[in-house]
Amino acid sequence: MGELRGLVEAAFIEHVDEFTTCARFRRLESGEASSKDYERFVANLVRTHSRSPQLVAFLYSIAPPDAAEDFLHNLLEELGVEEESGEAHPAMLQDLAAAAGLSPVLPVLDRLAAEDLRDIVSAPLMYGTLKEIGLAALCEIVAFEFMLSRCASRIERALAVHQGLPPDALRWFRHHSEVDIAHAEQGLQHIDTYVRYYGLTQDEGRGIVELTLRENVFVTRYLDQASPLPPGCPKQ
Amino acid sequence: MRITAGTVYALDIPFVEAFRHSAHARRACDSVILRVVDENGFVGFGEGAPRPYVTGETPQSVVEHLVTELWPRLVAADLPDPVAEGLAALDEVIPETALRGVIAPNAARCALELALVDCGLRSRGTSLGALVPPRRQSISYSGVISAAEPELAARRARQMKLIGLEDVKVKVGIGQDLERVRAVREAVGPEVSLRLDANGAWNLDEALAFADAVVVFGIAALEQPLPRHAVGDLSVLRKASGIPLVADESLVTLEDAERLLDADAVDVFNVRISKCGGVHRSTRIACLADEAGVAVQLGSQVGETAVLSSAGRHVAAWTPRLSCAEGSYGALLLAEDVSVDPVHFGHRGRAPLLMGPGLGTEVVEERLRRYAGQVVELGARR
Repeated sequence: MGELRGLVEAAFIEHVDEFTTCARFRRLESGEASSKDYERFVANLVRTHSRSPQLVAFLYSIAPPDAAEDFLHNLLEELGVEEESGEAHPAMLQDLAAAAGLSPVLPVLDRLAAEDLRDIVSAPLMYGTLKEIGLAALCEIVAFEFMLSRCASRIERALAVHQGLPPDALRWFRHHSEVDIAHAEQGLQHIDTYVRYYGLTQDEGRGIVELTLRENVFVTRYLDQASPLPPGCPKQ
Repeated sequence: MRITAGTVYALDIPFVEAFRHSAHARRACDSVILRVVDENGFVGFGEGAPRPYVTGETPQSVVEHLVTELWPRLVAADLPDPVAEGLAALDEVIPETALRGVIAPNAARCALELALVDCGLRSRGTSLGALVPPRRQSISYSGVISAAEPELAARRARQMKLIGLEDVKVKVGIGQDLERVRAVREAVGPEVSLRLDANGAWNLDEALAFADAVVVFGIAALEQPLPRHAVGDLSVLRKASGIPLVADESLVTLEDAERLLDADAVDVFNVRISKCGGVHRSTRIACLADEAGVAVQLGSQVGETAVLSSAGRHVAAWTPRLSCAEGSYGALLLAEDVSVDPVHFGHRGRAPLLMGPGLGTEVVEERLRRYAGQVVELGARR
């Protein structure tokens, strides 16, 4: 199974590299992007992650026994109930959106996030059983964990320096920052555990991973999406 | 039915991954969508997918042809109701037009016909299935592997096997063909049906040599091995090769179909709705094929949106002697499709019939505007 883990990790590294070296990300990081570009980026990010608890809950429901505790921990963390001072991640994202001046479009972003989830559920299933679909979902979620563990603080810094967003509004990024590298590593381990538990062959695992990662989801979700922006809305 | 307003969208929707064959490399959907509105406010959508190497049309020529030639002759005219009077009546009132350097302006005609049919059917709450009654309750789509390095082609083939596709087409005619076919056959095993498509890349001698060489790989059919006009040579190849032949670029018009049948040149017609000028003309060609005992492959335009895919689903369900169906890739290929509900196929390439009114798909107009490189508003009178 080490071979599959190597393939997944290599693909993640390639996608992160492609994302962080593309001109649009570099402009965001260097401050050359327009205010609209920053707003769009934040809107896309909020839309992408505001239904994460549901997706993590799906993964928990199909988790192999050896990984179930970790999946449950991730779910409780997303919901903000794993510790007393916890906070639901979607709430952090709402604060981020508000600080970025996106309050007027938050209901629209929420509706779009719901529609994205509806699309996932409505789309014809490409695989024969839930075990393949589960691996594809796990692979995509771990991809984002991997990317954020390497890029979250860079994005946080860019939004603080170039858009003046306050630290409190950026706390979602700190929950996913470099300190979470161990978390992302654990995700890679979970892919191996999952493939082994459900008896997927090396070829099947490889094929599902390749199909799932054939597009760069970071570029597609964070940069390509055209989530709506409020017309000329000032930041709070 | 009277059409009072319209909008033309020349799309540019990026692909998730590039697609290429011997005649072209494609990285985006460049379909032209026509939206029409009738006097009662009912809306219909049609799509044309121009291919310079097939009909000679380009996206720009389709837009211009729709705007300057077809629209002014139909807007506000009293048009036949497709439900009451049938597709043939509607086809008769769509002007026969010609364009220099174009075999037939069929993509433009298709966009217009589909939009009128969709609008007319929606105004009556009727599905296209009422006009082309289904012979089957679901469609099984095949996969297409675009020309690529043999190793990459094999990887794509393994992925297609993983999602259960039972029928795969491989592009050939650009070098490393035998290696690619061998790699794909090894990847999918003997149970998957394998077709090859050369997009007219060879002359007769090259095609004969290739057909001899690939026969060991169990090829179900060889599509358009020769250029469009080499109908006589197709006939020679058919008799000599022992591999069933499919006509694609050689089959654009009804006259092409008659010529191919007269020459006994092929075993299968690849009918593509945009290439053949809409639903009515596609079904006429399919009927000719049926009468002659020739099978029909319901093909598609790579990168078509849900509009053409929906029309294709209906026609595939109706088609007699259907050998296989292509298309309905939707968001499997496009960064985003234009319909509310995905129309792409699922596991084993299976897709259900579309039961909703019109073509059976709801278009998200905001996506058309977002992906349109050009938008032309059409009024009641020009």
